[in-house]
Amino acid sequence: MTHEQILAECREWFTDPDFGRLRALREQGRRLIGCFPVYTPEEVVMAARLVPVHLFGGGTMVEIDHADSRMQSFVCSITRSTFELGLTKRLAMLDGMLFPSICDVARNLSGLWRRNLPDHLAEFIHFPENFQSAHAVPYLRHELQRLEQRLTAISGHAPGPDDYRRTFERVNRWQAAVNELYALRAAAPWNVPLADAYALVRAGGMMPREQHLPLLEQALATWRAAGGRPQDRVRVIVEGSFCEQPSLELLQTIEESGCYVVNDDYLLGLRWHTAPLPLDGDPLEALARHILQRCVPSAVHHPGPQGRGAALLAKARAAKAEGVVFCIAKFCEPALYDFALLKRALEAESIPYLSFEFEEKMSTFESIRTQLETFVESILLFS
Amino acid sequence: MADEYRYQGTGRNLQKDMLGDWFQRLSQAPARGEPVAYLFISGNIAELLSNFGFHLVYPEVTALQCGIKKTAGNFILKAEELGYSPDVCGYVKNDIGLLHSGNASPMGKLPPPTLLVCNYSGCRTYVKWFEALAEFYKAPLFMLDVPYRRDDEIDPGDLAYVTGQMNELIALCEKLTGKRFDIDRFRADLADTAKAEEYWVRILESARRVPSPFDSYFEAVFFMAPLYTLRGSPDCLRYYEAAWREIEERIAHGIGPAGEERFRVVVEGPPPWPHFRAFWEMFQRWGVVAVASTYSKVGGLFDQGVRHDPARPLESMAEYCMNCYTNWNLGLRRDLIRRYLEDYRADGLVIHSVKSCRSFSVGQADTREVFSNEYGIPTLFIESDLADPRYFSAAQLRNRIDAFFEGLAHRKLTGAAPARPLPVLEVRP
Amino acid sequence: MIAAGVDVGSTATKAILIDENRHILARSCIKTGANVVKAAERVFRETVETAGIEEHDVTQVVGTGYGRYKVTFGHAQVTEISCHARGAAYLFPHTRIILDIGGQDTKAIRIARGGEVEDFCMNDKCAAGTGRFLEAAATTMALPLDEIGPLSLQHRQSIKITNVCTVFVESEILAHLARGRSPADVLRGVHLAIAGRSVALMRRVGLDPEITFTGGVSRNVGICAALEEKLERHLNVSPDSQYMGAIGAALFALDRALTGHSPAAAAAGA
Repeated sequence: MTHEQILAECREWFTDPDFGRLRALREQGRRLIGCFPVYTPEEVVMAARLVPVHLFGGGTMVEIDHADSRMQSFVCSITRSTFELGLTKRLAMLDGMLFPSICDVARNLSGLWRRNLPDHLAEFIHFPENFQSAHAVPYLRHELQRLEQRLTAISGHAPGPDDYRRTFERVNRWQAAVNELYALRAAAPWNVPLADAYALVRAGGMMPREQHLPLLEQALATWRAAGGRPQDRVRVIVEGSFCEQPSLELLQTIEESGCYVVNDDYLLGLRWHTAPLPLDGDPLEALARHILQRCVPSAVHHPGPQGRGAALLAKARAAKAEGVVFCIAKFCEPALYDFALLKRALEAESIPYLSFEFEEKMSTFESIRTQLETFVESILLFS
Repeated sequence: MADEYRYQGTGRNLQKDMLGDWFQRLSQAPARGEPVAYLFISGNIAELLSNFGFHLVYPEVTALQCGIKKTAGNFILKAEELGYSPDVCGYVKNDIGLLHSGNASPMGKLPPPTLLVCNYSGCRTYVKWFEALAEFYKAPLFMLDVPYRRDDEIDPGDLAYVTGQMNELIALCEKLTGKRFDIDRFRADLADTAKAEEYWVRILESARRVPSPFDSYFEAVFFMAPLYTLRGSPDCLRYYEAAWREIEERIAHGIGPAGEERFRVVVEGPPPWPHFRAFWEMFQRWGVVAVASTYSKVGGLFDQGVRHDPARPLESMAEYCMNCYTNWNLGLRRDLIRRYLEDYRADGLVIHSVKSCRSFSVGQADTREVFSNEYGIPTLFIESDLADPRYFSAAQLRNRIDAFFEGLAHRKLTGAAPARPLPVLEVRP
Repeated sequence: MIAAGVDVGSTATKAILIDENRHILARSCIKTGANVVKAAERVFRETVETAGIEEHDVTQVVGTGYGRYKVTFGHAQVTEISCHARGAAYLFPHTRIILDIGGQDTKAIRIARGGEVEDFCMNDKCAAGTGRFLEAAATTMALPLDEIGPLSLQHRQSIKITNVCTVFVESEILAHLARGRSPADVLRGVHLAIAGRSVALMRRVGLDPEITFTGGVSRNVGICAALEEKLERHLNVSPDSQYMGAIGAALFALDRALTGHSPAAAAAGA
């Protein structure tokens, strides 16, 4: 495939309201498990010979109709649109959904899913919030084992150590490629358009990794070789979009307004591990330990004594960012609570920031564009 | 209440006095150099902390008191000035605004925390709340992580995780206070707690009577306060002995919470604290008595068999932590409501959905559909907020409430078919 | 040297010409109408004619406003927030905070001495607190929009409008009128409600003096009075406030002209 064909293929995976690619996968005999954001233990899914499909709601693809009569109006769009996809049978090709503990809305959604879609598996995974406890690893290992049992009942295959080793190797390779993509973007963002890099990674979360890896590696090669020139833009990191996702148009708007997005938390669940998974030892215990000790800071897990402000400042410095753009989904509690604390950390270091709210189904971005341009102007014209 | 009765008004007044004393002790704690712990209601471990001499502050109770005393509005605005969104929980904003206003609450000046214990049971906002307080107060934060009741049965691995953390918390408290954990006192306190729980359940179950002597929502929110805030102190058991006497007296003399009981309802959801009185009156004028409620179980599902047990102190406490209403999955909650409707012979279900609280509210619309359409239970769905005074539209609420009870009255008059009988369900806590 | 700013708004398009000493040579304001490109061209031509010069005498043109990309003859585009900030600083050199209440949205902007934007906060989600709220009130009471401000000043009592939502304020107003409250008193409540929400928005960027009030709603004397009461402070309101954006754009254009288009040098020289 050409570079353009790769990108078009990737976009197809998550912009088709009927999820044609997923249906085709199912017809080939693969069994699929939907994963709600942010991080789900997809490694267990893969080891059980199932395909984890990371879903990020209905985006601009679906009118929310049935879901609203069962949920509340004061909640984020992604939970409602995901529920809508379920209720309208567009996710019938999945064997179930996994809901990790990120917020009360997603948690309650798992309960709504169970009642309204009783033929689907709907599992809520309670991740430890007490990262410091000596009991956290054994507890999480136990929880992963519970998940493994439920998944085995679907696939008929109980994962053994070899399954886990192969899975960890595959995940490590893929992760390394994604990390390289982000490093490339940070070094030469003019060569790697944000919307394209995004489409590539997002599609990767939906297809079998062995299928996606060659596409990812080919795109990387193309971008590595590109010889574009830098423009007069502001280097920013985008924060707050780790669950409900902005549309491709919004991503383009951010760049067109004069920014280079040199790091972000889009698709954070797909970039969860900060080091390769170890290949020896009891795999579930290793995975549990890894999840607790080698995961990125985020708004959905209590960080411990250091606080999120320090992590954000470190991220900004590492990426040589000139400012931070908080791009927060409307009604997203974790991001909204974090914002109040993170802005203090930025103000203390005099790092400029902008914050606005978005919804996945927005179609006009005039106001956001104006705010972004003003932000860029205030940095470019006055600093 | 009439003078000829000895105990009427006890439940309301004694609780008020005890809470008043408690706040007074709190305001004196810093001057006395006494340690202060902040914690939450759902899954609270009062006896464990008071074992070390900690004074206890419950920010939810602070926020509720500010709401009912009509000072929440300014604190919420202050938090919004600091960057908190209009769309996040009003309780949290009240607390943060209060913190930035010198902690001068209408109940007195609140002491800062020596230790923040985030007992995360049922409400994820608790975690974000105490993350913020940890930063503003620069106080140590212990996360007591209580797993969600995601299946019908409790997994022993969950309980082991909770008791393991409790032991770690005990070690931390010993370090912070220099005191050793007194297991004998702990068992004695739990024994008293269990007795108080017995009385509380008797009070709750008195509402099975027709007519009911007790309003299990509008009165329960006050009667429950000592059980959720004063455990580990002698005041707790003393209160429930006295409150039970009041209910016994009501039963003996046929006294009800309000005039003539015309309608019996189960209520789901927290009340609108800044407009509590006005809200209650909208129901009282129809002779409505709440015979059961779910909000009164946020601090523990004691009427479902949960008890603290001095013979299994930490284990029973861990079970207690997992069995608070908002920590139950939606299926368990639904079944509980069904049992209440049946056991307490209710005419209908009132769902009060509040904007601030996602843990309660997300999915209540589905609950309405289930009860109204599938079970044929008359269900009233109304919305406002528990903390923010701005989100209350009196005219609209009154409209909906009046229309609902008019309809119910009509059904009773015309002898319309009663709701389909519900099968009785067993759920072990 | 002559520079121009063209501000294409949704209702009106404005242009300003200035010279190298920052004197305003000409100004013009026309209705935007359906053809935005032509409106920009026309308003520019008018100012040029008024100043008695030729179009090619203008060294730099900057476009601003929602139609800034339609100023086809412009050399650069700058957002209306940045332009309003500089325009306000030009008209009121000591101003630090700008409150802009428009028909559709409300903005609070904090600026530094030269008019540089330090921070800003927008309310563009909710109609309450914008001109829309006033329109809804005027429609409900069947009064012309430009009369409700002066009428509100004739209040005898203050009524508290509690609803946060424009959708519900209509029934709240009708309920008060039905109870026999005077229109002036009810309008006073409406104006106070908007002022209250604006002040809440401003608190996020600060309330340092001086505060300039601009935007379409700044012509409403009732809002001005309500704001000054809540802030306990005098507000700067300029009769030229509708030109604020164009003035700021012209100043940006002048920067470019004076410094050969380099933003860094412009900042140094500003």
